[in-house]
Amino acid sequence: MSSGAAEPLVHIQDFRMDFGDTTVIRDLSFDVHVGETFGFLGSNGSGKTTTLRALLGIYRPTAGILHVGGKVFEPSDGSRLGYLPEERGLYKKEHVLDVMVYFGRLKGLSKTAARSWSETYLERVGLADKAKARLDKLSSGQQQKIQLGVTIMNNPELLILDEPTKGFDPVNRRLLMDIIEEHKRAGATVIMVTHQMEEVERLCDRVILLKDGVSRAYGTVEDVQEEFGGTVYRVTYDGVLPLSSLFDVVSDDDGRAELAPLQGASEEKVLRELVEAGAGIRSFTPARISLDEIFIKVYGEQHELAEG
Amino acid sequence: MALAQHNLGTVIAFEFTRTIKKRGFAIATLAIPVLLIVVFALLYASNTTTKNSADAQRNAQFSFTYSDASGIVAPAGAQAAGGTPTTDPESAIEAVKNGSSEAYFEYPADPTKEPVKVYGADKGMFENGKYEAVARQLLEASAQQHIGSPQLTAALTGAVKFNSETFKDGKAAAGVGGVIPPLLFLVIFYISMILLSNLMLNSTLEEKENRVTEMILTTLNPTTLITGKIISLFMVGLLQVLVFLAPVGLAYLFFRDRLALPEMDLSTLVFEPGPMITGALLLLDGFTVFTGVLVAIGAIMPTAKEAGTIFGPLMAMMFIPFYTFSLVISNPKALIVQIFTYFPLTAPVTALLRNGFGTLNPVEAAIVIVELLVVGILILRLAVHLFRYGSIEYGRKLSIAGTFRRSELAAK
Repeated sequence: MSSGAAEPLVHIQDFRMDFGDTTVIRDLSFDVHVGETFGFLGSNGSGKTTTLRALLGIYRPTAGILHVGGKVFEPSDGSRLGYLPEERGLYKKEHVLDVMVYFGRLKGLSKTAARSWSETYLERVGLADKAKARLDKLSSGQQQKIQLGVTIMNNPELLILDEPTKGFDPVNRRLLMDIIEEHKRAGATVIMVTHQMEEVERLCDRVILLKDGVSRAYGTVEDVQEEFGGTVYRVTYDGVLPLSSLFDVVSDDDGRAELAPLQGASEEKVLRELVEAGAGIRSFTPARISLDEIFIKVYGEQHELAEG
Repeated sequence: MALAQHNLGTVIAFEFTRTIKKRGFAIATLAIPVLLIVVFALLYASNTTTKNSADAQRNAQFSFTYSDASGIVAPAGAQAAGGTPTTDPESAIEAVKNGSSEAYFEYPADPTKEPVKVYGADKGMFENGKYEAVARQLLEASAQQHIGSPQLTAALTGAVKFNSETFKDGKAAAGVGGVIPPLLFLVIFYISMILLSNLMLNSTLEEKENRVTEMILTTLNPTTLITGKIISLFMVGLLQVLVFLAPVGLAYLFFRDRLALPEMDLSTLVFEPGPMITGALLLLDGFTVFTGVLVAIGAIMPTAKEAGTIFGPLMAMMFIPFYTFSLVISNPKALIVQIFTYFPLTAPVTALLRNGFGTLNPVEAAIVIVELLVVGILILRLAVHLFRYGSIEYGRKLSIAGTFRRSELAAK
């Protein structure tokens, strides 16, 4: 799975996926480089999981190149991969430790190493007393932790997480993020499908935003923010915001608003207009547009079109 | 290759261990030998009682009167048995009725045309048998005394053994002793399919129902997974057969007489290489075909419940050839027998039957073996393909064609 310095670890080029007469993914191309954390964004049904499944050989692509480490992924490369699928599940009637050791063995670990790693992990996530329990006797959150353990137990070079925080409470979400950061620091390449934009902003080096199987934005988080409006102005106010040709009101809630400048309107011009309109400005802070807002902007268009 | 072997071993160990550790499996596997042990224990106790009672009846000593119009009964023998002759049957019967005599036997002038009448005091259903036993023994002993030859007596009573020998192509034919060994492959086929088919069906459904497919498919070659499952199930079946046979074997070795088990002269069995090799190959092929079909069903169907609708008819295919059992043996050229011989789902049983009874000639055997091998491999490959591209369809029934044209797969 290792690739040269210049060669991306994951290379997808002109990928198309048809299901019958429906084209789900169209001409999708992107790279993920060694050691980077890559955010794969998009609404439900935009084609993210399909892309990952095609990349990992679960689906056969209609067209295009999908390479991991310079070649089509084979299950024999699984020892270097950690994949947490969207559809989660393990052998529910088996004991926790047995299942972990089984997957550890399949990922190339010795029985002793798999057992030792599993016991340490279970200790870390507070499930040491559940090692001999059947998986179906565990809560959904506990099962998620086991699944995560199975995903990372081989210390993978490439970690693909499809909606990793799904089903996690805030405490466990923090644990998950810590684990992802550990792997990132250790040099793993991480591809993360998520709807948690604040996590993307915090963890990801680059992102791709998919809509209806087509890339709508691709690059570093800053690049994407720049592409979708760049700077916004966060204001707190006491009065009423005026209508203006200098900015759009992106959000407005209880005296806090986010304004997107139009046609390159400068910071001074916008602030002057607000003051002159008597908006009762208490603070005015330039900031980059959040990915959350970009997401709403991209998919808001979709909703508007659907409603229209 | 080394990784594939490592993974195959891992799958076999995991599947075998988790199957035999299941409580349901332990109960199902141990239930039959436990039941057999209980039955054998009851038989042991019953046969001991029966033997004692039969011996007691045969040797029962009681006083009786008898009349003999045939002149066969030897007076000395009758006297030794406790009998007293009488010429007044009515009084003798009355004496039995009022309890002053225990029994009265009335031998007719011609026992071949009239029955021997036995009257006795009621001693209960089982013990009452002693009257007829003694009356019969007295008559037989007297007749033998008249004949004066144990050989003639044996010939007349049918107590003579016959050994038949037939010849085929100038050599002694094996007869029944040659039929039994190749038919054992049919027995093994049935036992393995009955014991394992449900496990086979569920073993691939489990990945689907538990949503484990994606984890598996990115870690393990599906061919390795399915091969491992089949081998582990075969080992499970072998273990079950051994557990089932253990009490039978022990009973046969140590308690055969007490349990009235039939004595088998194993030296009469003939293991002819031709039918034995053919039987082994047909068994292997049949196992492959049915396993492939079951795995394929598991990959297509979303749940075990829905798979059951196909599972039933499939299992019926194994028993259908028995409807034509007499034709299979007596007229193997009959159209229905020919169809059953070559149709993949009926071929294993029909061909194994014909092989056992010697009506499957070498050419037919070769065709069926090759056909089943090819079909079995194709079905297994199809099963792996369906699992590979179909088991991702959690909770949905799969179109086989869909997996080839990639339509109808759920878009995410």
